[in-house]
Amino acid sequence: MIVEAGQIALALAFIVSLYAVAASFLGVARRSPELLVSGRFAMYSIPALLIVATGALIYAFVNNDFSVRYVAENSSLAMPREYTWVAFYAGNAGSMLYLAIIFSLMAVVAVAAIRKNLPYTSPYAVGIMALSLAFLLGVMLFLANPLARQAFTPMDGEGINPLLVHMGMFIHPPLQMAGLVAVAIPFSIAIGAMLANKGGNDEWVDQGRLWGMISWLVLTAGLLLGSWWAYTILGWGGYWAWDPVENSALMPWLAMTAFVHSIMVQKRRGMFRMWNMVIIIIAFTMAQLGMFINRGGPVPSVHSFAQSSMGWLFLAFMATTMIASIAAFIWKADTLRSRGKLESLLSRESAFLAQNVLFLTVAFVTLWGTIFPIFSEAASDTVMTVGQPFFNRVNGPMLLLIVMLMGVGPMLPWRRAAPRNILMMLRYPALAALVVGIVLYATGVTRPVALIAFMTCVMVTSGILQEWIRGTITRHRRGEAYHTAFVRLLSANRPRYGGYVVHLAIIMLAAGAIGSSFYSVQRDFAMSPGDTETLGEYRFTFVGTEHASFPDREEDYARFQVYAGDKYLGIMEPFRAEYPSFRIASTIGAIHSTPIEDFYIVPSEFRGDGEAIFRVLINPMVWWMWASGPLMALGTLLALSPRRSRATARSPLPAGAQGARA
Amino acid sequence: MYRIAWIANRGSSWRVWPFVVIVAMVLAHGCVTTTSPGVPEAERRASALNKSIMCPVCPGESIDQSQNPLAVQMRVIVDEKLALGWSEREIKDFFVERYGPSVLMEPPSAGFGIAAWIVPPLAFALALASLYLTLRWMRRISDRSDENGTEDEERARYVRRLEEATGGDSKTERESSQ
Repeated sequence: MIVEAGQIALALAFIVSLYAVAASFLGVARRSPELLVSGRFAMYSIPALLIVATGALIYAFVNNDFSVRYVAENSSLAMPREYTWVAFYAGNAGSMLYLAIIFSLMAVVAVAAIRKNLPYTSPYAVGIMALSLAFLLGVMLFLANPLARQAFTPMDGEGINPLLVHMGMFIHPPLQMAGLVAVAIPFSIAIGAMLANKGGNDEWVDQGRLWGMISWLVLTAGLLLGSWWAYTILGWGGYWAWDPVENSALMPWLAMTAFVHSIMVQKRRGMFRMWNMVIIIIAFTMAQLGMFINRGGPVPSVHSFAQSSMGWLFLAFMATTMIASIAAFIWKADTLRSRGKLESLLSRESAFLAQNVLFLTVAFVTLWGTIFPIFSEAASDTVMTVGQPFFNRVNGPMLLLIVMLMGVGPMLPWRRAAPRNILMMLRYPALAALVVGIVLYATGVTRPVALIAFMTCVMVTSGILQEWIRGTITRHRRGEAYHTAFVRLLSANRPRYGGYVVHLAIIMLAAGAIGSSFYSVQRDFAMSPGDTETLGEYRFTFVGTEHASFPDREEDYARFQVYAGDKYLGIMEPFRAEYPSFRIASTIGAIHSTPIEDFYIVPSEFRGDGEAIFRVLINPMVWWMWASGPLMALGTLLALSPRRSRATARSPLPAGAQGARA
Repeated sequence: MYRIAWIANRGSSWRVWPFVVIVAMVLAHGCVTTTSPGVPEAERRASALNKSIMCPVCPGESIDQSQNPLAVQMRVIVDEKLALGWSEREIKDFFVERYGPSVLMEPPSAGFGIAAWIVPPLAFALALASLYLTLRWMRRISDRSDENGTEDEERARYVRRLEEATGGDSKTERESSQ
């Protein structure tokens, strides 16, 4: 009964979303406010319907209702109840429902926020959002219905993919998917403003930036948590493999990073109006490409959890929206003329443009590498692999260039920069970089590329700190205590200082990536209980193995006593679980993590006689990558937080509250 | 302004730096110790090679990453061949012969594989060139409108003088028209 109610709710949601599309566009064409209001309220009602459908699916999971095909395919009696959350989006149909409900909730909040501030844009935005939602719901209804019954009810379900049974899987996939659909919101607002002939008036920019940064943050969190999951569970000691699905999540992130920067130029200077449209179209297309590759795309990947042919529908939808939005862009290009002028080649405006171009180039090259296997198959009948070494070699230098630009760009003033002043401002950061470079060289970091990369990191960091210190001192001289001076400095220009905080976090991320990719040490050891081995300064004794049997899996725990030099670090227990029914092994490494380096043990194989093979790694500075996450969130929130003085007048929240009440 | 003055006051220290740097580098060079983290050369070669060979049955993973039995077996083969004195090239060719060119993690730098390598630098060069050209074009447009701007300003000044000369009436008219 409840499952049927969910199915009806799902079908209703599809019809209502189609109605919202029709009402919004017809309402604009006929200048009928009643239709527009009705379309908007149709949109508001969709989350409620989807909550019913979601509740029905959860109900089916919790009650082990294996007559529902999706439940039978993704859970079993043995599955712990809390993994219902993971099982919900583990397969295709369920993840579609998840995407739909999360997108409808975001869309409703966004519509409520923009309807007062952007009265002309909002009907178009509602139409575009409702169209995207209708697509998701249509695919679900006709091709991958999560609530569909099957003809016969199995005794037990097939169970959940064991690789998904991990803490990281509670957060990474839902965040990643939410980030990908969230890109549709700034896209809808931007295209809506353009269709309403308001693209040349910058009123949509604040909301576009707000939602752009929200989706950027969610994508960032998804990527970081995904890397963390790979690092701790996939058992190869790395965190990023340039796998097609990773790439397809990275590309929209790169495009959104370009967008949240270039939108500032429009906000402050009224320039780049056309360019911002182009970037958001690219970002939305890349986000859809991400879905396509994730939903059973054509490229082999370790993420092929949910293979299906419906990926091709995503591709068709992507092509349609891309062509339609490019056509709209060409049609409305005249309304997007710049207000501001580029006064000098050396200015913050040009630094932003350079940043955009570099990010989009990295995105393009990543796309190229990701789809190259398909081209190679078409052209030469052999599928060529484009793997990690290729991407490191090709993207590495460009990413380094981006980090360098990060040190100079923010120092350039708007409009026009004097080269002399720039050199003056770079003096101390350059000195700091040089000193640290010498110290690093003396301590054995002698690889030129690593040395340059680390020095760049130091230069950017000290450039940011220099700016903060000088600002604080200036305020202090005006009579503020140091700490209030610092806090007021940060809150005086929040987009700018929030941006700096994010930049610092990016430097932490870069430092971790550089340290671990140039100076990681890895060795395999075959050890019997009682054996002691050393790697670097670490000495570790294999105490023995403990075996545990579960209905669905066999677990082997290895126990190590670990010393760093003479210091006892404690017991480390990496383990490996075999899932016979899936023929999958999942490995959890044991990691002793410090800001300097991670000591990482992962079992590769347990042999019957007590001997086992372990991979032992020393990964420098990986700690910094995980630590950068919270700082990135903090910086983004600072950059987004409305200024106190203007909060009452311009904050999107009151408008949203009114919208919810109306 | 304050910031520039603050730097300029300390401008003389520029001259000291080169010496500081040279002295420090000489000292540093003496201290350099080539740290060997204790991995034998053969193993290092093997793991570098493992990272460049793909596991044929586990899509997207190198034999270094993968725990699949076939990957384990291939790692053993790599070790054996290296012990026999085979070169990296020979070992890679050995696997390519068995599993086809897709077993290499990088596209080959021959045949169609070259395209994979040429496009990225080409894209980068094109991106930089178009960035430069776009900025210069935007700058030139701005120059042109700057000129218009100054012409407008001059005309406005001229009109204002005319109006002042002709008396107060037109002044109110100007204000109302604004």
